[in-house]
Amino acid sequence: MNRCLILMDGNRPETDLELLEVTRRIHGESQIYTMGLELEPKDEKPSGAFDAIVNFECGSVPPYDAAGIAMGAAALHEMYGFDTILVPATFFGRMVAPRLAMRLGVGLVADVTGIEHVGMQLEMIRPAYGGKLMAGIVKKGPGPLMMSIRENAFPATSGTIKQTRRIVFPFDHQPSRMTFIGAREKPQATDIRDSEILISGGGGILENFSRLDDLKEVLHAQVSASRRLVDSGVASRKIQVGQSGKTVSPRLYIALGIDGSVQHMEGLRHVEHLIAVNTNREAPICSLADVVVVGDAVEFIDRLVKRIQLQELSGG
Amino acid sequence: MKIVCLIKFVPDVEEFKYDYQRHVLIRENLKQILNPDDACAVACALMIKRSNPETVIEVVTMAPVSVSGHLEDLLRLNIDQAILISDIRFSGSDTFATTRVLARYLKQTTFDVILTGTHSLDGSTAQVPSQLAEVLGLPQMSNVVALDTSSFLKGKPSFDVEHDTSIMTFSVDLPAILSVSRDSAYKLPYVAYQDLNRDVSSRIRVLSHQELDLQPQETGLEGSRTEVRRSFVKNMIKKDKVILNNDREGIEAVYCYLHEHGFVP
Repeated sequence: MNRCLILMDGNRPETDLELLEVTRRIHGESQIYTMGLELEPKDEKPSGAFDAIVNFECGSVPPYDAAGIAMGAAALHEMYGFDTILVPATFFGRMVAPRLAMRLGVGLVADVTGIEHVGMQLEMIRPAYGGKLMAGIVKKGPGPLMMSIRENAFPATSGTIKQTRRIVFPFDHQPSRMTFIGAREKPQATDIRDSEILISGGGGILENFSRLDDLKEVLHAQVSASRRLVDSGVASRKIQVGQSGKTVSPRLYIALGIDGSVQHMEGLRHVEHLIAVNTNREAPICSLADVVVVGDAVEFIDRLVKRIQLQELSGG
Repeated sequence: MKIVCLIKFVPDVEEFKYDYQRHVLIRENLKQILNPDDACAVACALMIKRSNPETVIEVVTMAPVSVSGHLEDLLRLNIDQAILISDIRFSGSDTFATTRVLARYLKQTTFDVILTGTHSLDGSTAQVPSQLAEVLGLPQMSNVVALDTSSFLKGKPSFDVEHDTSIMTFSVDLPAILSVSRDSAYKLPYVAYQDLNRDVSSRIRVLSHQELDLQPQETGLEGSRTEVRRSFVKNMIKKDKVILNNDREGIEAVYCYLHEHGFVP
């Protein structure tokens, strides 16, 4: 039996399912015992994804108390002896995982996006050099396998529904030396180079550039633009993709009304999935695309937004 | 008040060229630059020193001695001293072994705060600051975009942290490790003209495994807990392309594609 500990993401249940998917990729379906560590105890009935959900006896531990969480998780490991420990590569998870790895004296691979079995060895795949290169990393030495997992990298397949047991683990954490004072909304100005999903507009959508925001909202994406839109004053240079703009490496790039000049395509070499919408199916950008939609970009936005909202309404 | 700035020199990733024939990235002969997030951390330290000139700033880096020139440039910017942790035995260290080496030095020295960068351009695991914090028993926070100088000088700084869609404010009891983000407004100044050729080499101290009392099995590949087995370029050669019409069927296919790759629920 392979015992796996997953640090649950209190804000995004899909992440838990993705991490469970990773346990299956590592160990295979049949011999896994999965335990979810829930930092903020919830009253609702567990969904049946985990074999057990653990809460600390002291109640909630704030997500920013990485030292406290790592200490509790290490105590949990001492009791259960996990084979695998997975942490979501979220802002807070990225601060917890290194501490826990140090406490356990084991190696840690960050931001894993792929799992491969090479002979008897397990290779963890992660991007390096800003996604320009991928690295296959193996664990050395004793102790549990530990990694943080990039969100959206392992789409969940349906697992077995389990009778989830709730466990209260006796752990009393010390107050953190870090104090949370408050939070405020951030004005939207994220660097497009850091975006996972980019909705990008070109000459074909010059008059309707603001409509890209509709798709941006439903896909939780960022908006970028081709040089043509920047030169015509519609978009800011900060969001320009291409040789004279920025090289981007999102997982998904949706090119709306972009023909694809050489200099624009140069900025797209590290894109993982590319969908091009263009009235001309022979436009250069279509040669790079995984999916080409022939037609008007604004109509495409309307239809796709409606389709995604439909799914959200039906609870999917 | 003493500030340690933990910094790293990295290959300038933007200069990577792609060899289309051999299907590899050309990584050789790349210029080394100060990691951008770390540059912001040094700039933040200099801002504090401007308010409180008694502040001592020490930069610490683990690197080959070839970075000395870069360190000298920093020392010409009102940085007091530099520690260059350099030993052929340390090459190949993963974050675990690197943390062990850095911690060995930091345990021997005193400081009020460690300022460093959140991400590095090369590995970008953001692991070392958190791992060091654990070993040194310190609080740590990533993605710091602003630090309040007056509360800092009183020993309990408040600072802003960027997280997804919000800016969070925290305060912390020093000593602590704060990892600064390049999205902060801190920018390194240029070296003043009259300082361009100032001799600062005596302010660099080089430490090897001997001074730090590190055994061979504690560092380098041997002291690492992970190993890079291979690196490869994502296959950019295209591709079984799908061509769709902009109609109901086409949109459904796009939706399925997005779902299959985890972009929509």
